[in-house]
Amino acid sequence: MSWVALTTGFILILIGLYGALTNRNILRIIVSFSIANTGVNLIIVAVGYMASRTAPILDKTVAPTEALERIIDPLPQALVLTAIVIGVGVTALMLTYAFKLYEVKGTLDISSYKELKW
Amino acid sequence: MVNGALYLVAIGLGAAFLLGILPDRRELSYKITLTSLSLMALIAASYVWSFAQNGVLPEQIYTAGSRPPFAINLRVGMAEAVLSLLISLSGLFSALYMRDSLLKQGRRAMAVLLVFVMALCGIVFTRDMFNLFVFSELSVISTGGLVLLSHDSRALGAGFKYLMVSQLLSILLLIGIIFAYHATGTLNIDGMAEARLNTLVGGSLSFFLMFVVIVAELKPFPANGWGLDIYESAHPAFSALFSAASGAAMLFAADKLLLIGGTQWLGIATAIGLFTFIGSNIFALVQENDRRLLGYSSVAQLGLILAVIGQRDLLGDHYHYIAGGILLAHAVSKAGFFWLSGFIEERNLGAWASLRGHSPLIFAFVTFIALLTGLPPFPGFYAKWDLLMMLASEGRFWVLGLILLGALIEAAYLFRWFGYIIKRDIEDEVKPSLLSHPFKVDVVFSAVIAAWSLAYIWGAISQHGNLLHSIPLLFALGFVLIDTLPVKIKNSIAIAGMILWFIYQYPSYDALQVIFSSIILLGGALILLAGYHEKGSRPGFYPAAMLMFAGLIMLIVAQGSFDFFAAWETLTVGSYFLILRGKKSEPHALSYIVFSLGGAFLILAGFAIAAQGTVNFQLKALADVASPYAAWVFLLLAIGFMTKTAAVGVHIWLPGAHAEAETDVSPMVSGILLKAGLFGLFVLLMNMGKQQLYGVELSHVLLWIGAISALLGNLMAIFQEDAKRLLAYSSIGQMGYAVFGMAMMNQLGWLMALMFVINHFIYKSLLFLSIGGVAKRTGTREMYRMGGLITLMPLSFIAVLIGIIAVSGVPPLSGFGGRWIFYNAIMTTEYRLPMVLIFLSGPIAFLYLFRLIHTIFLGQLKDEFRQIREAPFWILLPQMVFVAALLIFAVVPGLVLRRVDAYLAPFFASQSGGLNWEGLTISSDFGYWSPVSIMIIIAAIFASLFAWLVFVNRKAQKVKQFNIAFSAERPYRPETTHFAWNFFAPYRKALGFLTQPFVTRFWESLTNFLHGGAEFSRRFYTGNGQTYAIHLLGFVVAIYLLWVGMTGGRL
Repeated sequence: MSWVALTTGFILILIGLYGALTNRNILRIIVSFSIANTGVNLIIVAVGYMASRTAPILDKTVAPTEALERIIDPLPQALVLTAIVIGVGVTALMLTYAFKLYEVKGTLDISSYKELKW
Repeated sequence: MVNGALYLVAIGLGAAFLLGILPDRRELSYKITLTSLSLMALIAASYVWSFAQNGVLPEQIYTAGSRPPFAINLRVGMAEAVLSLLISLSGLFSALYMRDSLLKQGRRAMAVLLVFVMALCGIVFTRDMFNLFVFSELSVISTGGLVLLSHDSRALGAGFKYLMVSQLLSILLLIGIIFAYHATGTLNIDGMAEARLNTLVGGSLSFFLMFVVIVAELKPFPANGWGLDIYESAHPAFSALFSAASGAAMLFAADKLLLIGGTQWLGIATAIGLFTFIGSNIFALVQENDRRLLGYSSVAQLGLILAVIGQRDLLGDHYHYIAGGILLAHAVSKAGFFWLSGFIEERNLGAWASLRGHSPLIFAFVTFIALLTGLPPFPGFYAKWDLLMMLASEGRFWVLGLILLGALIEAAYLFRWFGYIIKRDIEDEVKPSLLSHPFKVDVVFSAVIAAWSLAYIWGAISQHGNLLHSIPLLFALGFVLIDTLPVKIKNSIAIAGMILWFIYQYPSYDALQVIFSSIILLGGALILLAGYHEKGSRPGFYPAAMLMFAGLIMLIVAQGSFDFFAAWETLTVGSYFLILRGKKSEPHALSYIVFSLGGAFLILAGFAIAAQGTVNFQLKALADVASPYAAWVFLLLAIGFMTKTAAVGVHIWLPGAHAEAETDVSPMVSGILLKAGLFGLFVLLMNMGKQQLYGVELSHVLLWIGAISALLGNLMAIFQEDAKRLLAYSSIGQMGYAVFGMAMMNQLGWLMALMFVINHFIYKSLLFLSIGGVAKRTGTREMYRMGGLITLMPLSFIAVLIGIIAVSGVPPLSGFGGRWIFYNAIMTTEYRLPMVLIFLSGPIAFLYLFRLIHTIFLGQLKDEFRQIREAPFWILLPQMVFVAALLIFAVVPGLVLRRVDAYLAPFFASQSGGLNWEGLTISSDFGYWSPVSIMIIIAAIFASLFAWLVFVNRKAQKVKQFNIAFSAERPYRPETTHFAWNFFAPYRKALGFLTQPFVTRFWESLTNFLHGGAEFSRRFYTGNGQTYAIHLLGFVVAIYLLWVGMTGGRL
């Protein structure tokens, strides 16, 4: 089943990139990147998925001795958590920028911030 | 220090949190920030110290009590230690520099700065791929925050574009990481390398993604608009960090990543790096905005280092020395430049003229330029030398050539910028007030100190000896420290130093070295006498002049190719600063330095190819270079040396440079400096002899070049109105003779060339001084504006008269001796056609020399000059010494020449045709030359003709100036009615086509092509963030295709 998640992830990324490159509105760009990030997270989880195994928590149900065969790899999930946190940070920063940009110029059109070029 | 890296990261992170908890007292927060940055630097420094001094092994730090792949590990070796020191120190100094901004923004900004520095150190230390991602995201976020410290509101847009692109990159990086993990089961970089990621299913694609992201973080050309915008708009202290620290960290990340990729990726890294290096430098050519220019230059340098990283398979043990040398040179100089830019109010290159009058800041600027362009004695110089040697030994000539090309373009715009500082008008007289930012000046000087310390360290660990131990060089640099002393004191020190050095070194010189060193040291001291005429402190003159002399004297004693080349670059740079001092010298000094550096790079390439990996390649070993390289080496070196002798084709810098230089600088750069090129050719021909390339005898080609230079130089000289320009063109002709003589490859030819070395030094120095003295008094160099000065400036007249007799080669002065040897020499060879050209150019020399006397000293005195006096004493004094020297040399040429002849004889042992030096008469196979009797005969003829002239002239009627009346209209351009204007119009009609500036046009169209191309293509950077994102995706695709193309695309 992991291929469904994998495919969905890639589709989300493509949707996100398409949105980020075609929308001129800065808020829409930020939302598009969030969608793409979600896709990435989905892919990480899907890559780490191992069929018919249990959560990597060692308690009564999983004895330490048989853990290696029964639990899934905890690492990708840890990575996803970190990636989500970082994604939140970047998104927050981008939203702050959007706010500031709007404050200065009164527009959220990315193409009106081209003073720096060449 | 055990686990120091952990402490370093912890201090940065902890202090950042602490700032958030503590009460919002800005001074306190600022102190905490500085303290933690200093502590971080201290830890890094203690690492560097323990690796360097105590030979401690690299440290592996395992976190969470486990080894990889179960936990993250850090590694600290020498490279990591140096980089973290660089990052934390530049963070500390930028924090000092940004004091006002940080205090205004408060503790949050300081926390972000701490996180930024910590994250970059983390990128350097970590061996874990995901950890690398986290640290690089931290650096992205903190970059996004720090960009906002700028006063420039455009920085907002720049920051947003940067974040957009970073989002794209982080998406690609994460996908790459997770699939690499999936393939190898580890996130550890060394683990992935061990598992040979590239050979696993999907492994090479995941590596491609990780690699392309790290490379994209280096802002590769042309997918780098977002980076340039940040450089341009951020606070200069942050741009300094962004260039020095971020760049260094990401380069190191790329270096680590290539461990996984293996050798197949090295070529791709080199290709991306070189493309970036050259492309960015070309784009920088047309930049007017200083910080954007620095941005392009930063990108270019990162590209260069990426290319070096791509060559690491052949650099072996020297890899860190070379890459580190270039990287540290880039980082320190770029940080210095950005910090300096904070003193400049306006954002265009011309505005930097306001640095003028602040000698310390100019010294800082010069240091940064030299550091960045890799001039001796800075680390980049050692690094580039070693790098190119190794590239040539492996036959990677393309890489070698492209690196040199890029370096030349870079030097061109940097030196052009320096020209603006020294020469451009200061627009609104707003000088940067240093007192208002004393600590900022200190920060800039910390970079200067770092630069010179690095120069010393790189010299100390180089395999070629430390250039900073060279006494002439230290003597020259010492003048920087005493630059504020009055000119009289400095001049005396300079003269005394040069004479003492000559006396001290004399016993160790051979005959050839005696001749050149007498010209350089004694002749130089003689010309320096003219310096006593100057008032005040003459800032900048003595460091420049002494640097040139130091380079020259180091050149003639150099045994190894490295010392030779170091001396060559030293004298080039010194003379550039000297030439730039002239009033209208800006464009000429620029073309001088570009041609000279171009020539120097050819020499470097020549040595590199000749050495074939030999460390400390000796000049003598040039003789043993085998085919197929020998002829190419010869060609490269010969062209390189001929840029200095201004052979036709690469001569266009000379007239302006020599004519516009100051009165006493012209004789130095003409009389003395040109000899460096001849010395180089001597060394070359002495060791390599005749070489053939595709069946063409190269010395024969030289012969032709010499003959054509002689002819065209002289022809162009006769059409000049400007007296100093006339002399300058005449030098091209004279050097042509000398090249011709050498290329004859026989003993007499060389003797004649050496005779030209001496003669040309004496008479060209003499003439430049006397004409310079006249120009100083009359305020013009155009001859037709002068006239009749003979009675007012009799001593100058005598000097010019003696000088032109000597130049023209008529008896009795030494010029004739040169001719006599010359005629003997060509009789022994069979090159008839170039010989005809040389004969032709002889009489042409008369035409222009005659004008110097005729137009300046004879004829009617102009009204405005009735009151002028003889040239100043200190300018006349050396002239009189030269006159005496010419007379003595004319009577007893054997004094010097017989020793040289004996020195040359062994080189031509197989040929006959030496000279016989018995007594006062010199005889050859074809006749004899008796200087003394010639002198007597000429004196007798002159005396009788003079007596006759006086006799027939006794009844002549004197014509007064206003005895003439015009009967026609008032002329539109009065000077066109002066008989001395366009004096040789008929000849111009006949031969003028030969003097069309074809060569100038060729070089002009080349530069115009580069500039035009850059001006047109830079519109590619539209300024739109989405376009930049598309550029980046395009870059990813392009690299993918490159990779598939290079490796066959096995996924």
